[in-house]
Amino acid sequence: MTEVSREERCGLLAEAEPDELRALADQCLADGADVRVLVGPEIGFVTAQVREPVAAERFLLGDVLASRAEVELAGHRGWAMRLGDDRASALAAAVLDAEVEAARPHAADVAELCARVARRRQEREAAEWAELAPTVVEFEELT
Amino acid sequence: MGYSGARGGLEAILAAEDLVRRARDHAPAPWAPNEQITARFRLAVDRVMGEAGLYHADTSAAALRQAEGDPLEAAHLVRAHRSTLPRLAVSEPIDPDEMVVLRRIVPAFREPDGPQLLGRTTDYTGRLLEQPAGPPPRRSHTPATPPERTETQRRPGRFLDLLRKLDLVVDHRRVDDPEPFDITRKPARPPAERSAALASMARAETGALVALWYRSILGPDGDIHEVTLGEVRHGRLPLRVRHPHTGNPVRVGEFRATEAEAIEDLDGADEDRSRFDVGYGLCFGHNERKAIAMANLDVANRRFGRTGPLEQLLLLTTDGLDSAGFLEHLKLPHYVTFRSMVERKQAMRAAAEAGPRVAEPAGQECR
Repeated sequence: MTEVSREERCGLLAEAEPDELRALADQCLADGADVRVLVGPEIGFVTAQVREPVAAERFLLGDVLASRAEVELAGHRGWAMRLGDDRASALAAAVLDAEVEAARPHAADVAELCARVARRRQEREAAEWAELAPTVVEFEELT
Repeated sequence: MGYSGARGGLEAILAAEDLVRRARDHAPAPWAPNEQITARFRLAVDRVMGEAGLYHADTSAAALRQAEGDPLEAAHLVRAHRSTLPRLAVSEPIDPDEMVVLRRIVPAFREPDGPQLLGRTTDYTGRLLEQPAGPPPRRSHTPATPPERTETQRRPGRFLDLLRKLDLVVDHRRVDDPEPFDITRKPARPPAERSAALASMARAETGALVALWYRSILGPDGDIHEVTLGEVRHGRLPLRVRHPHTGNPVRVGEFRATEAEAIEDLDGADEDRSRFDVGYGLCFGHNERKAIAMANLDVANRRFGRTGPLEQLLLLTTDGLDSAGFLEHLKLPHYVTFRSMVERKQAMRAAAEAGPRVAEPAGQECR
């Protein structure tokens, strides 16, 4: 797959399924690498700040539940934030981020996981559009 | 018992709570897991997320179950839960133009930029009650594969931008960029920034906001006189935060929101009568009533918020926890309060019987 930036990787890991994150994180740590948890994993919220289109003013819409974690693996830091309250998945995603940052053996598997998540996102959107498209309407105007 | 005017009753309180728990949790019906509640009562779940100000479907579903289906009580539970959580970040400013639409209609104009997409709605069908004995038979459904969705179909152009191109709308765009007011840290009181009013409406109780909207049309104030909608959208918005190591934005997920633009005719002596004004509404989840009321009230608040009661009504009376909390507290023992009221009556009567009249005591509030 084409190489993704760190931000894109974090974004894709934020959407990965819990099972695939945990399974791959277990593989990454199976060689007994030195790992330290630096932050969390903790549940909190991200405040959604919107710039509305009428006056280009910012306002706070509300909060979105999120989990985050940060680890150090083989001397490299990995960070993750995901929506929801699944701390274990946030921790696993942070491990995967660090695996790539440290260019460790499973970095290619993490890249493959990211590619899979990106493909799923496209498939989900295509399926969604297949359901929505028949509801496009052109009302007639009475004259 | 937390009310200062009385104490005791602990055993009865525990027994009453236990009655709720046993009747609710062990009702003679299958347990309703979060997935069931979220899938079948999505609008109730969305409403709770919006009124609680915390977006997480599972949390709202659990709250609805615990609250026995009472959305206000559920919002109370979620807001209390949220108060125990840390703020991990404030998102990068979200551009609503990035919304991938699941539904989008422009009631004001037949052919806007991009499609009129009905999406999931029963707006155009009759309200006939269905009472099936069980789940309806499953119909086979294989949607045809449409041509690939274009960018205009994903994110249609905004009707407001069309009005701007036609020079038909007053321009409120600011050149400064004030920090938004945070209603979760400080209560918003008049006079308030517009960001405080928008945040308050986004979190308001839906019924309260709709009632205030209707009062503004039919009530004594007449703050809304032309009711036309530009955009009504439901869709997904991305949530991005700054990566702590690179400093660049990271998309950590997306949430659904409902957005509305309300067009108002300008007819005031000091207003530009050759143009329209536009108000904005946005709230969590799928809640069109709320977003539409918010958009209309936004423009009404800009025009009349300070010259009438509207701003005060918006900021002080539309929060469900505020209003319901005050109302509900009236059920707590008010023995001391009422005894003092009775004693005042008796004192007045005694004074009248004794001779010269005394002045009426000040303060008759029952709090």
